[in-house]
Amino acid sequence: MTATTTEPAQPTPASALAIPPKPRRVAARIASWAVTAVILLAFWDIDLEWDKVAQLPSDLVHYSALMFSSPDWSMLGEAALQTWRSVSMAWIGAILGVVLSTLLGIPAAQGVGPVWVRLPLRWIFAVIRAMPEVLIAIIILTVTGLTPFTGALALAIGGIGTHAKWTYETIEAVPPGTAEAVRASGGSLTEVIRWGLWPVAAPELMSLALYRFEINVRTSAILGLIGVGGIGAMLTNYTQFRQWDTVGVLIIVVIVVTMIIDAISGAIRRRIMEGAKVRGVERIH
Amino acid sequence: MTAADAVAGERSQLTIPPRPRTWPRAAAIVAALAAFTILTTIPAIGGVELDFASIARNWTNGADRIVQMLTPDWSILPRTWQPLLETLEMALVDAAISAVLAVPLSLWAARPTNPNGVARRAVRFVLNVVRAVPDLVYATVLVAMVGVGTLPGIITLVLFDIGIVVKLVSEAIDSADAHYMEAGRAAGGTQTQINRVTALPQSWPAIASQVLYSLELNVRISAILGLVGAGGIGRLIDEMRGFYRYDALGTIVLEILVVVIAIEVASNLLRKRLR
Repeated sequence: MTATTTEPAQPTPASALAIPPKPRRVAARIASWAVTAVILLAFWDIDLEWDKVAQLPSDLVHYSALMFSSPDWSMLGEAALQTWRSVSMAWIGAILGVVLSTLLGIPAAQGVGPVWVRLPLRWIFAVIRAMPEVLIAIIILTVTGLTPFTGALALAIGGIGTHAKWTYETIEAVPPGTAEAVRASGGSLTEVIRWGLWPVAAPELMSLALYRFEINVRTSAILGLIGVGGIGAMLTNYTQFRQWDTVGVLIIVVIVVTMIIDAISGAIRRRIMEGAKVRGVERIH
Repeated sequence: MTAADAVAGERSQLTIPPRPRTWPRAAAIVAALAAFTILTTIPAIGGVELDFASIARNWTNGADRIVQMLTPDWSILPRTWQPLLETLEMALVDAAISAVLAVPLSLWAARPTNPNGVARRAVRFVLNVVRAVPDLVYATVLVAMVGVGTLPGIITLVLFDIGIVVKLVSEAIDSADAHYMEAGRAAGGTQTQINRVTALPQSWPAIASQVLYSLELNVRISAILGLVGAGGIGRLIDEMRGFYRYDALGTIVLEILVVVIAIEVASNLLRKRLR
C-alpha cells in the first residue's frame, strides 16, 4: 500500500476533515447573470405606469367593496342559466375533442403509425397548440354563427392540440409487453391497439378526458368574451356596463361552480387511477 | 373407478371461474353519462343546440378563412415586433415576479414545511380560489378597474402563475423524501431553519422547472390578453380581426407558433439540465 492511500485511515487530526474546494461553476454563474440582466431589462423596458401601480391597492379595495359588499343576488337565476350554458359547452367540447384526439392521437404514437403519418399529425397538433382558442372560435363562427355550438366546437378543436399530445404520450408510455404478446400471437395492428394498448392506457386516458372537461370549464368562460354566450359573455357585458354588484355575483358563481366541478371530477379521476378502496385485505381464505 | 379417482379427476379439470358481473355497473355509468350529455344539449335550460346541419351548409366559409390564413401577408410583420416584444417582456416579468412570490407560498402550502394545519389549509384554499377564476376573466375585470395597458395583464399572469407553480411545487415537496428534514429536526433546528437548509435546496429544481413551464404558458396566454385591452400582441390580433384581415392573422399565428416552439425547446433543454 502506498502512503497516499493509507493516510486517511490513520487517525491523524490534521487529515480529518479537509473540506474539498467548492466546485467553480463559471458557465452556470455567467448564465445566471445573463438571465438576471435580461429580466431587469424587461422590467425596465416594459411600459408600466408606476403611478398606477402605487394606486393599485386602494383601487383593489375600492372595487372589491363595490363588487362584494352588497352583491345583487337577484341576478342569480340568469347567472345559473348562463353557467349551465358554459358547462354544456365545456362538456360537449370535451366529448367531441376527446373522441377526435383519441382517433388522431393513437396513430401519432411511436410504434403505431408509420413516420409519414406520425410527423404530419404531430405538426398539426403543434400548430393547434399555438392557436389561441379565441382565434379558433373566430374562424368557426363564420360557419355556425354566434352560438354556444361554436364555443363547443372551438373547445373541441382547440383541445386537440394538447389532448392528442397527451394521448400519444400515454400510448407510448405503455410498457411494450402486452403489445408484443398480441403481435407474437399473430394479432393485426388493430388487434394490437384494441387488446395490447387500449386496456393498459384506458384508465389514464379516461382520467385525462375528465381533466380536459375541467380545463374546458375555465376556457368556456373565456370564449364568452367573443360572444358565443355563457357566463363569460354575461361577465363581459356587466363589466363593460360597470355594474359591479352583478359582476361580484358572477365572479362568486364562477369560483363556486369551478371548484365544485374540480372536486367532483378530481374524486372520479382518483377513483379511476387508484381503484376502489381495498376492503378486507386480511381475509386470506 | 374408485371414489378417490373420481375426486382426483374432478379436481384436475380446470374450471374457469365465472366472469365477474360488471355489466350492471358499466350500464349505470354509461346511462349517467348519457343523461348528463342529453341535459347539456337542451337549449331551453341553457344547453348547447347541436346544429351539425349548419356545418354541412356553411363549411365553405370556414374553409375560406383557413385558406386566407394559410396565405400569410408578410407586410404586417414590421408592425408586430413591438407588440411581440411587449408580450415576451410581460411573460418574463410575470415569471420572475411569480417565482419570487411562489417560494414562500409553496413552503407554506406543503405539509412537511408547514406543520401548522390551519395556516396550510388557509393558504391552499386561497390558492384554489385564485386558480378557479379563468385568466381572461381576471383581465376583463382588471382592465375595467385600472384601465387599458400592460398592468392588468401583468397582474392577471402573476395570479395565474402563482396558482399553478405553488400547487405543483407544494405537491412535489409533499411527496419528496423527508429524511433530511427529520435530520434537521433531530439536530434541534426551528421550522424556519429546517425549511431554509433542507427543504429549499431540495425543491429548487422543482421550482425552476415549474417557473419555466409557467413562462411557456405565459407566452400563450399573453398573446390573447390583448383582446380585452391588457397589452401585448393580442391587441394587434383584435385589430386585424376587426378588419377581417385573416391573411395578417395567419402571419401573427405563425409568429406566435415560432416563438412558442422556440421557448418550449429552450425550456426543455434547461429542464433536462436541472434533473
